[in-house]
Amino acid sequence: MKILDLKIRNFGKLEDRQIRLSEGINLVYGENESGKSTVHTFIRAMFFGLERARGRAAAYDTYSLYEPWENPGQYSGAVRFACGGRTFVLDRNFDRYSRKTELFCEDDGEELSVGDGDLQMLLGEFSEGVYCNTVSVGQLNARPGEALAVALRNYATNYYASGGGDLDLDAALLRLKERRKEIDRQIKEDFRKKQADRERVEQEASYIWREMHRLQTESDNLKERIAYRRAHQPQREEPENNRVIDELRPGKWRIHPLEILVFVIVVVLVFMFIQRPWNYLVAIVLALLCLIYTWNRLKVSKKQEKSEPEKLLEEITPEEEKIPLEKLYWELERSEEELGEKQVQYNNLREQLEEMDEMGEEFWEQERQREAVDLAMDKIDELSLKLQKQMEQKMNDLLSEMISELTGGKYTRLVIGDGLKMCLIRDGRRIPVEYLSRGTAEQVYLALRMVSARVFQEEELPVLLDDTFAYYDDVRLKNTLRWLGSNKNQVILFTCQNREEEALKALGVKYQKIKI
Amino acid sequence: MRAGELWTSLERIVDLCRDEEIELLLIAGDLFHRQPLLRELKEVNGLFLRLEKTQVVLCAGNHDYLKKDSYYRTFPWAEHVHMILGSELEAVELPGIGAAVYGFSYMSREMQAQPYKGKRAKGLQPAEILMIHGGDERHVPVKKDEAVALGYDYVALGHIHKPQNIVPGKMAYCGALEPVDCNDTGKHGYICGEITDKKCRIKFVPSAARQYIHTEVRAEGGMSGSELKEKIKAVIERGGRENIYKIMITGFRSPDIRFDLRAMDVYGNIIELIDDTKPSYDFAKIKRQNEDNLLGEFIRQLEGCGEDSLQYRAMCEGVQALMETRRD
Repeated sequence: MKILDLKIRNFGKLEDRQIRLSEGINLVYGENESGKSTVHTFIRAMFFGLERARGRAAAYDTYSLYEPWENPGQYSGAVRFACGGRTFVLDRNFDRYSRKTELFCEDDGEELSVGDGDLQMLLGEFSEGVYCNTVSVGQLNARPGEALAVALRNYATNYYASGGGDLDLDAALLRLKERRKEIDRQIKEDFRKKQADRERVEQEASYIWREMHRLQTESDNLKERIAYRRAHQPQREEPENNRVIDELRPGKWRIHPLEILVFVIVVVLVFMFIQRPWNYLVAIVLALLCLIYTWNRLKVSKKQEKSEPEKLLEEITPEEEKIPLEKLYWELERSEEELGEKQVQYNNLREQLEEMDEMGEEFWEQERQREAVDLAMDKIDELSLKLQKQMEQKMNDLLSEMISELTGGKYTRLVIGDGLKMCLIRDGRRIPVEYLSRGTAEQVYLALRMVSARVFQEEELPVLLDDTFAYYDDVRLKNTLRWLGSNKNQVILFTCQNREEEALKALGVKYQKIKI
Repeated sequence: MRAGELWTSLERIVDLCRDEEIELLLIAGDLFHRQPLLRELKEVNGLFLRLEKTQVVLCAGNHDYLKKDSYYRTFPWAEHVHMILGSELEAVELPGIGAAVYGFSYMSREMQAQPYKGKRAKGLQPAEILMIHGGDERHVPVKKDEAVALGYDYVALGHIHKPQNIVPGKMAYCGALEPVDCNDTGKHGYICGEITDKKCRIKFVPSAARQYIHTEVRAEGGMSGSELKEKIKAVIERGGRENIYKIMITGFRSPDIRFDLRAMDVYGNIIELIDDTKPSYDFAKIKRQNEDNLLGEFIRQLEGCGEDSLQYRAMCEGVQALMETRRD
């Protein structure tokens, strides 16, 4: 890009001024307070606009500083510049009431829109920050600000590391991360579904398990009953004492009626056949004995009723007592059969659960996809790091070349450290820029600015130097001017001294002098 | 639902045997997928009771193997149903139809032994059949030459779900009567055969109510989700809506489209839908255009591996992410 004309209608102290710039070195000469810095600021304001600060800061901001005292409505200007083989006119009005910006192409009269970013497109990577920190060098202010470090880092991670072009690494990595999250979500979702299936089967299994328990208790109960019945039936049939009379006794009777009849007959017979008075005694004794026997029989029965198994028997209703043992056996068989059935069902379900633990094909497919995304991210990281290193290498080479030229070969190696900490290397020793003389430090920073500008530029921008060479000795001034003359298309050099002009003359470099 | 269909399928076979007056029904193991319940055996036995002229011989396979307390061991089968309960080769002689069936059952989930090995046909009956469940490494390995050389008229194989004719007219897998696993693709049914005078003729008869169909649907470049859905629908309509599908979407899609797979199952008969489409990037062209930047280098580093490789997938993912986030 090349600036052709500056038309200042009203900007700071300058009024209705036209400045024509040419290719090569433009030496803008003016005494102190003649408005050199105003021109410098005007150029910046033209390309990047001039915003009013807010609140109290507004009193001393650039906008107020250059606001004309008279005719504030004319706070405006225009710049003609060539870019990409076409000529454009950029016209701005900075006035707070009638502010506007117009950009049109002189060749075909096409109206462009600054609001839509057309100007930004012409400027490429140059934002105001980058501009101020590279091609535009202010008075005694060669050291670039933190903004350049940030811009360079961003550039390194995005533009350069992606190899220029339009790739956006951060965005791409973010996209991949999102993709990974999406896959993870999918995996989790599927797992949840599977878990739900599992739970269903588990529930079924636990239901069957309870059922099994119930059946187990049931058959245990039945077994007990059968065992009891088997233990007690024969016992009851078997006589308590082996008397014939017990055998004869009907099952339900505790005492046989015949027994009582026999007792009565015996007592009566004894009473009749034995002589008085003994018969009374014997009869009474016999009757008592019979009573005692009967009483005893009844007592034994009572006692039996209260025994433990008797209680169990009591629980069994008389009807159930009538249930044949076979039926109990049948019930037990049925219960055990069902229990076996449940057991098989239960085992089958457990088997099914085991099989469910195995991960399905879909899971592995997703797992592979996730791995692929990871691999892609790793690869991009790796490559960007590699390219970033390459860029640093390239920048270091350019810096070294330039510093060697500026210092007349005194320093041959200049390297960039973290946060743009510059180091000169001489005789194998690293010398941080802070240890250097003011003049050399200025040169180091100039080198950094010029090399950085090259990194960002699609099309070279004019270099603006505002009394930058105050600390330069004559030799280095010549070296620097020679370098600028042969490496830069357009240089605008503001100065209030004659030494630059003398040096240019001595070097035989063509230049155009503009007096303000 | 499917369980009911499997029973119906068995019922159909039994009815067929009855109607066609088939003499012998062979079930070469794995009648059940797991241990059978007693009521299930009763059910099967009940089905077999319909048979009038058919003898049934069955053995236990690796899925319904003879556990210690398996109901198979004690189940009172109908008179014409013969269950082989030994793990050694034994013969079931059926003089009524002049046939002997040799077979064995599984006692555990796996069985490396080959009980049939070296057991030649004894000539007990005019027609002799060997029934083997297995055929893979861990389930009774079967060498077809050895098995055929034993002199049986026919070797009935079970275990592998897919019907296969191993030695024509001599040895075959009938396959699962119904497909039971989503990988059981193709036709399923039974084998109908006839042995006369030591000559065996067999024929596979498809009878399954449904098929599992694995199919690929190609997405053409620039196809939208709804177009793809229509295409899948058409494929299913052509292949039969009663069948169950596992569909792999292949081909290329526009890089900016991701298909919503959940919306594709119109008839509810897709059990698995895998999106294997590749974004329709021309990698070679992208590489050429980005010769000296990260994208080109990225492709260079990952290309050259097959389309199934992790690298290829990573390349697709990475290129897509880089291309989609480009600054204009």
